[in-house]
Formats: sequence, C-alpha cells, structure tokens
Amino acid sequence: MNVSIPYSWLKEYIKTNATAEDIVKVLSLHSFSVEKITKVNGDDVFEVEVTPNRGDALSVLGVARELRAVLPRNGFKCEWIEKEVKVPQLQDKDKLEVIIKDKTLVPRFCAVVLDNVKVGKSPKIIEERLEKIGIRTLGNVIDITNYMMIDKGQPMHAFDYDKILAHKMIVRQSRSGEMITTLDGSERKLPEGVIVIEDGKGRLIDLCGIMGAKNSEVDEHTSKVLLFVQVYDPVRIRKASMSLGHRTDAALRFEKGIDYEGVLPSLWEAANMICEYCGSNVSSSLIDIVNEERKPKSVAVDYDKINQVAGIEINPEVVDQTLSDLGFENRNGFVVVPSWRHDDVEIIEDLAEEVIRLYGYYNLPGKLLTGEIPVTQRDESFYWEDKAKVLLKHLGFFECYTYSATIKENVTGSALKIANPLSEDLLYLKTSLIPQLLEVIDKNKGYSEKIKVFELASVYLPNGNNLPLQPFMLGIVGKGIEYVELKGIVESLFDEMGIQEYPVFEISDYDGGKLGVELNFEDLVKKATKSRTYTPLTSFNSMKEDLTFEIPEGVLYPQVETIILNADERIYKLNFKDIYKNALTFSIEYLDKDKQISSQDTQEIRKKIFDCLKKINVTLKG
Amino acid sequence: MNDSLNLKNIKKGLEDKLKSVSTEQDIVSIQLEYLGKKGILREIFSKVLELPEEQRKQQGEKINNLKKEIEELITQYKDKIKGNKSLEYSDLYNSLPGKKPEIGHTHIISQAINEIIDIFKPLGFTRVRYPEIDWEYFAFEALNMPETHPARDEWETFFIESPADKKYGRMVITPHTSNGQIREMLKGNLPIRMLNISRCGRKQIDNSHVPSFYQFEGLVVDKGISTTHLIGVLDYFAKNFFGPDRKIRLRPYDFRFTEPSFEVDIDCGMCHGKGCKLCKDGWLELGGAGMVHPDVLKAGGINPEEYTGFAFGWGVERTYMMKSGTKIDDIRYLFANDLRFLEQF
Repeated sequence: MNVSIPYSWLKEYIKTNATAEDIVKVLSLHSFSVEKITKVNGDDVFEVEVTPNRGDALSVLGVARELRAVLPRNGFKCEWIEKEVKVPQLQDKDKLEVIIKDKTLVPRFCAVVLDNVKVGKSPKIIEERLEKIGIRTLGNVIDITNYMMIDKGQPMHAFDYDKILAHKMIVRQSRSGEMITTLDGSERKLPEGVIVIEDGKGRLIDLCGIMGAKNSEVDEHTSKVLLFVQVYDPVRIRKASMSLGHRTDAALRFEKGIDYEGVLPSLWEAANMICEYCGSNVSSSLIDIVNEERKPKSVAVDYDKINQVAGIEINPEVVDQTLSDLGFENRNGFVVVPSWRHDDVEIIEDLAEEVIRLYGYYNLPGKLLTGEIPVTQRDESFYWEDKAKVLLKHLGFFECYTYSATIKENVTGSALKIANPLSEDLLYLKTSLIPQLLEVIDKNKGYSEKIKVFELASVYLPNGNNLPLQPFMLGIVGKGIEYVELKGIVESLFDEMGIQEYPVFEISDYDGGKLGVELNFEDLVKKATKSRTYTPLTSFNSMKEDLTFEIPEGVLYPQVETIILNADERIYKLNFKDIYKNALTFSIEYLDKDKQISSQDTQEIRKKIFDCLKKINVTLKG
Repeated sequence: MNDSLNLKNIKKGLEDKLKSVSTEQDIVSIQLEYLGKKGILREIFSKVLELPEEQRKQQGEKINNLKKEIEELITQYKDKIKGNKSLEYSDLYNSLPGKKPEIGHTHIISQAINEIIDIFKPLGFTRVRYPEIDWEYFAFEALNMPETHPARDEWETFFIESPADKKYGRMVITPHTSNGQIREMLKGNLPIRMLNISRCGRKQIDNSHVPSFYQFEGLVVDKGISTTHLIGVLDYFAKNFFGPDRKIRLRPYDFRFTEPSFEVDIDCGMCHGKGCKLCKDGWLELGGAGMVHPDVLKAGGINPEEYTGFAFGWGVERTYMMKSGTKIDDIRYLFANDLRFLEQF
C-alpha cells in the first residue's frame, strides 16, 4: 500500500539536513521503496510503498521513526522532536452505554464526547496538508480525524453524539442481509459477520473500521461529537472490506494491525485539536475498554544466527545499537519489541532482517554456493521437449504460446471453469491445444499460403475432486500442407525421439484446408530413448531398384510393407516412393552382409517377394 | 618435347571453347569433337601407337590423364549450363541471394527459458516443473500466507470452480512458481538446488501483465546458506544474462515466505547506477527474493535449525524484456501469436 507523506509534515517529528532526494535514496535502500516525489505547492510529497508487514509505517510518525534510525547511518543529522501528550480536562457530563457482544471483535475500544463543537472550516495548515496528499477537506471535525490517521496511522471516526439514539452502542456482528447507508451515500447489503454498531433504537450507525453510517454523521448542526478510536479484529475487517468491495484507507490500516499503545496518545491529540480548532471541551470521562491484554513481546538476540543469515560478521555492539535505534529495548540477551511492531516481529529471523537491512543489503558481498552437490533425478521431458521444438522449427514451424484459458466453444463439456474470470474470452481451461492453434492460423491467414504452427503445453482435464490432470501435449496445425506431409513430420519426430514403434495418432481435417494433430507428449517421452545400437557396416555394396505394384481394393500399405520386409533377410531398406492411383512404387535396397550380392541373388529375392505378394493379389505392374 | 606442349594446348583450346558455349547442345558437339570416335584424342592416341614401346607407355599415361581432365571439364560445364540455362547472365546469377531452406521459429519464451537454464545449470541447479493448477495450500498457506493475510492482495489469483479440498483448500491457478518450493522440499532430497520454470496465471492484463505467464524460481536449501550466497548466485545470473559489466543490489521488501525479503535491482545498462533518462535513479527492479522463512521449511518437512535456504522467483518474459535489445514494449505480443512478430525471433 502506498502512502503520501509531505516532507514538511515529517519535519514535525525530525530535524534533519537530508534533502528530499537523500531521503528517497536512504529510505529505498534501508526501509521502503519511494515510488516518486511530487512537488505540490512547493513541498516535496513522497509516495512511499509500505510493505504489508509494516502497517506501523503508514503514517508520518512511522516514516519519521524509520528515518530516525536510517539517516544517521548514512551521514545525515536526524534529531527527534519530542512531543508531550497532554491529557485534556475531562468532565463526566455525557455518557455512553457500550455493550460488546463478542470481545474478540474489538480488542480495544476508546472514546470521549466533546461538547460545544462549532463545525466549520479547518485551519489553513490542516487543509493544506490534507490537500497535498489528495484528501478532500470536509470541515474541521472530519478533517482532524483524517489528519490524525495520516499523522499517527490510527484511523478514527467522529459521530454526532446526539444521533446515537439513547446514547447507547451495541457492537456486534451483522446478520446476513442487514442494510446500512454509509457516509458516501451508498446503501450496502451486509453479509454475515461484519462488525457493526447498533444504537439504542436498533439502527446500524457504523460499518466498523470501514466507514461510518450516514444516519450518525457530523454535519453543520452538530454540537456534540463522539470521538471514536478503536482497535478492531484485523481479520474480520479485511474479510468485510473485501466482500463489500469497499477498501477504504481506514480498513487497509486496521487489517494490518494498529499500535495498541498508540491509541490513547492519538485520541488525546485529536481531542486537543477539536478543543482548539472547534472551540469545544471534553464532556465525558474516558471510555477505554480493553478486551484483549497485550503483553510486550520479547525475542532472544542470537548474534550467531544473525551473522549466519547475513553471511558476514556483524559486531554485537552494532546489532544492539541498530535494534535500539529502531525502538527495541535491550534486556540482557533479549529485546522487547516496540508496541508498533507487535504484529510484525516474532522470531530471530525478523530481528536479523532489521539488523541487516540497516547495515545495508547492498553492502554484503556475493559468494558462490559451496557444499554438497545435490543428487537429483533429471526429468528427461525437458530434453525431449527441446528436441521436438528444434526439430519442428527446422521443419518450418512457428512455435506458439496461447493462454491457458479460452472460450467455451474451444473446450469439451466437462472443462474446468474459472470462478473469477478476467473476461468471458478466458472463462474455461483448455482441454485441447488444437482450437487455439486453429485460431492462430485464421488470424494469420494473410501471412502466407502455407502456415505451420505448434505448441507444447498442458491441457487441463477434470479429475474428480482431485487436481486436474495436466498432461503436456504437442499440438501441430498446418494450412496448405498435405496429409502425408503432416504424417511424415510426426513420424520424423518419432524417429528423432528414437521411438521404434510408432504410436497411433490421428490427423484431423478442419475448415479452410487446415490439418491438425495432437499428441500426448508425456507418452512420447516414456517411449523415447537416447540409446542407439549400431549395426556393423559391411564392405559389400548394396543393389537398389524401384518396383511398382498394383494393389487390389482392401489391401493397405502396412500389410504390403510387412510382407516385403519379411520375404528375405537380404532386403536391407524399403521405402515408399510414389503412388499413382493404386500403383505403389517402392524403392528397395538389397544387401548381403556376408558376400557381394549379385543380380542372380536379387532375382531370387524378387521372386520370393512376388510369390508372397501374390497371396494377397498384389502383382507387379506392367 | 612439343608433344606435352601440344597436350596443354589441347586443354587450353577446350577451355576457351567451353567458356563461350551457351547451350547444352553446344557442349555435346564439343564433347564429340574431343572424345568422339573421330575426335581429337583418338587421333593423338593413334599416333602414340606408332611410338616405340617405352615412349608409348609414358605418352599413353599422359593422354589418359588428359582424357580424364577433359571429361571432368565437360561435365562441369554441362552441370553449369543445366543450372544456369544461360552463361551469358552468370554475373547476375551469382549475385542472387542464396535459396534458404524454409526454417521456422521457436518462441521467444522458449528461447528465454533456454538461456536461463544454461546459466543456472553450471551452478548445479536442476530444472523442474510443478502444476499450474494447484491447491491454495501450496500457493499460499504453506508459504505462511493464510487467507486472512493482507499480503495475499498482491497476488491477483484465479480460482477454479470446483469443490474445496478439506486439507488443501480451493483450487487455483498458481500465481507464482513458489508453489513448487513446498513440493520440492516434500520430495525429501537434501540439499536442494531447484530451478522451477512453470506456467502461472494472474487476473491482470495490460502492457506489462498477461493472464498466463512463466516464472523461474530458484530454491537452495542446504546447511549454512546465507544472504551472501543469494547475492552471489543472482550476481552470477545477472552478469551472464545481462552482461559482465552489470551488477545487482538488494533492497528491503516483504514476502511472507521469506525472512528477510528483498527486492533485487540491476544497475541500468546505460548509466550503470548513476541515473539517466532511461532509468531515473540508475537502477531497475528485477524481482523478489529472500531467505526461506523457517515456517516454510517446516511445512516442507525440513528442520530450520539445521538447514537454511534462499529463494527467488521472477517472470521469464519480464526479465527477458529487460534485456537490452529486444525493445518489446508490450508483453501481450508474446501471447498474441502474430507470425509477423514471432518471425523476428
């Protein structure tokens, strides 16, 4: 989450000689990325990308605390400006009855009532600062609550005290279907389990931690304000805000955790501001309900472990100093985690991160791995995939990569559906590579008369309640090529993979003269072999000739081929050469490994071939 | 002796004649003139027969050699004429481009993957692939990221309409290759040097995001692995992939499955870290990395007291696009399958 922090506001907390550019550099290297600096009305506004673990830094105070630790390490001065928290004068005039149905909903509940509130414009400094970071000014009371959220990171809310009917609050979980109209005017239907507040007359007056309700908002007639500062259950806030699709700045902060010890100081400071800028007084006592005691957390400092994580030796004194600069309190081998880091720091690795990032990751040297060489079983699939890709490339194919999801028309009935699709075009997981490859051909039809494409990727086949089968497939599609050509390409691939017995595959015809074939590549890999056994070469010459046979109806090529090959062991090679109508031409190579083959020998072999073929009525043509 | 001179002249004369022929027919007649029954060679031969025995043998050999040379020359010119039709235009013919065989293209992503593998292989990394459709458990929970954690927002995850598994949660398209970390650890072989290159998906589409993409994930688990090892390996990668004069740096970041976590930058190829128009501050973001969180090791059945590790997972396409030279400004081209684009790689 990004937070905008004006440089001038930071100066409320620190005195430094670092320029805005220096701050960007130092923060980026040691703490958070600063995405940019924007000049607004002569001020430098930093846009800081605060990582999700550091909710404490979503504030001017939080960023200032980081700077206090990191600037001096980079040669800059950084003096902390102490601020005293003054508790305002309290009166016990106005009361609030609070019923909390479930203590886990709101670990800490704090509030005070202020009377004599004069709602009007905020002082200039508050208006200017809020405008610099893009927050609309909405009158002094609301502005002060927004100001404090940015300043301290503590979201707060101001109710019109008199609109809380019967001055009673019931904090509970919503029932499914309950309605609430929030401050932005939206009417929202709530799911079950959202933290809400009901007043004494059964009206919902707050969508807790996300946004207040319209019916209890502060307006120009308001004279009493209930200033409301809470710590909510982060998980429930996150769930509610996500399911309502309403991600407010307050919700984003609450779900990342709130500094327990920061609640009261924030409350007092806000109350003081309302007193000062709205002419009011605190008219109630402090309501502070602590539903969850937070004990300070401590972590043992294991210096060796820190060095091990870093890979270098860091002086223990440097470790201690670093931790103390970040607010960790040293206690004989332990450190107490500061309250604002309570949710973030748990284990020694967390401390190591703090120490090493302040030392500077960029200061660490690089080392290559030593140690044992892992013994692993290599997955041969990758070897064969690469072989196939390179072969197909050299056979004139374009390799394609298509999305995993596609339209309904491209998949079979049982295809898996994406529950939250990006668009209707990407709703189903593909069950075959072919449809999208056909689309590729169509899209590129102007490219050339002849187009050949392939893709090697998974398809996704439902498998009951288990993960789908995700076999790696090879899809080949061509336009402007012949059936036998595509068949030959597939068979060349088998040869390349050392597959002796060709698996059965089916070439399909598609509209517009396209042909396609899809092979389960994992099955091919199982059959593939790198090992080759050589047949000793002979010094004798072979004899070659072409023979053309007439094939009667019902006889197919493989049958003829097998018969010829089995006719005599001296038939060394047999290749299909040509076909004209039903006349099949073979080129035959004869070789005798033991002696020079003669024309008498070939005559004898030929006769054997003819005799065998005669049985299935195949005769020599001509 | 003038005989040998004579033989040389015969060959020279033939060459001159051949140079000026333009049809195959011409060559046939020249062939007859020299090698025919009443040809020049026959005539010389008949003269040789009249010589004394000793000279006859010597001369005979010479003539035989000449015959061979003549035959070769004639064949050579015949071939030339066949391929050329007209020798008159031989300069033009020779200036033509070579006739290239029809060769296709492997996809730029495949090329990028191969380049990445080639760099990590010598460091002992073994390539693996883990499922794209996986359980939420492997993509998140086991990586220290329960559903309620705000860190999950970073991953724009696609969910599959399918009943959730009691143990492993919902079915997702894994938004990163880190799901492979736990799966690799659960194999039970230590130490680990894994390079997982797999397809992922995220609910995003714009000029730098596509809903399907590839990541490469390195995972090392061994005794005594430190941040300095991570830096060493990534620096080696960067120098080999981007250029020997480039360097990396780490900045703090946060991932739930690593502690500490880093953002890895590479210095700009133009200004080398000084800052220029291209890069603003001298550095470009490569991707995330970190030291494997002890909870993740535990989820993978490894004792974090004994073993430590590091991991990084970066986009294949994005990393390749950052390599100077490709100049691809929109990642969607990679999945658009426009052949005019693909033929450029």
